[in-house]
Amino acid sequence: MILLSILAMTCLVFLSRYLFLEPRLPLRLSPAVQRLLSYSSPAVLTAIWAPIVFTHDSRLSIGANNPYIWAAVLAGLIAWKTKNVLLTTVVSMVVFLILNLVVWA
Amino acid sequence: MTSTALPETTVDSKLRLFWQGTIAMLPLSIAVLPWGLLAGSFAVEAGLTPLESQALSAVLFAGSAQLVATGMIKAGAGLVTMLITTFFITSRHLLYSVSMRGKISPLPLRWRLALGFLLTDELFALCGQQSEKQFNRWYALGAGLSFYLIWNLATLVGIVAGNYIPSLNDIGLDFAVAATFIAIVVPNIKSIPVLVSVIAALILSVSLALLNVEGSLMYASIGAMLAGYFTELGLGGKA
Repeated sequence: MILLSILAMTCLVFLSRYLFLEPRLPLRLSPAVQRLLSYSSPAVLTAIWAPIVFTHDSRLSIGANNPYIWAAVLAGLIAWKTKNVLLTTVVSMVVFLILNLVVWA
Repeated sequence: MTSTALPETTVDSKLRLFWQGTIAMLPLSIAVLPWGLLAGSFAVEAGLTPLESQALSAVLFAGSAQLVATGMIKAGAGLVTMLITTFFITSRHLLYSVSMRGKISPLPLRWRLALGFLLTDELFALCGQQSEKQFNRWYALGAGLSFYLIWNLATLVGIVAGNYIPSLNDIGLDFAVAATFIAIVVPNIKSIPVLVSVIAALILSVSLALLNVEGSLMYASIGAMLAGYFTELGLGGKA
């Protein structure tokens, strides 16, 4: 029963990933829709990272003692200056862990 | 990524691109490790057999949907409830799918199936903003497949080690996901419409998260895309 539930959910998830990749699906994206979709990457990624940084336990957390915000600002600066994803992630993560586990432990 | 524009056919260059994709995915693969461990140990704790627990990662392969599904199986929820909830969580993949249509739909069936199956938040993060010329199937496969293997390995360790794993949530490893996505988004803010879109996504996603709206990610994303698009129109089409 559990395996069947997993299979049913798998169908749903796979379908949502595959649907528009199918060339036989009669869908031609107009230039306007293509322009709209060009914003999908920054929009979705920000909609994922922003709640991680600014909310905690479903509450707004924007105080100066929120380590997520300081580390996120640092990540933004390093990314802007270097455009290096790996460097940005590693440095801001180390700073975050120091703030979270040492400074505000 | 500059060398990926031309169609290259040698086994050597395919392997090289596959490896480049793997390396580019590495920060996200590392960030996902604790969640994979959690998915495995949580599934066993919820009463699933080791096989069912691994199947969640190997077959369903959908981080947040997996954790929610496990919680619902534990709570004894019905199949319909599980499917409706899964649909809300997975609806964002429709957006990834339509965004990647220009790049993936011309590929042969086996490539479409493989890259479609591997089309997670993380793979979209890496390939979503690539142009059709920049996009390379081997690079995408390296990124997606390495991520899949690491997610499944982490799940396996979670299943085996179970309760011995301290609660990794508490030390805040979710920041690694935020850091990686910030690192991808910030260098791409090269115009006012993109900036408006990012700010709209930030405000909408935080507000909807605070209101506990189901499917908030989807609504915030579409709202932010519209904000960017209409700003572009307002500025006279100069993106």
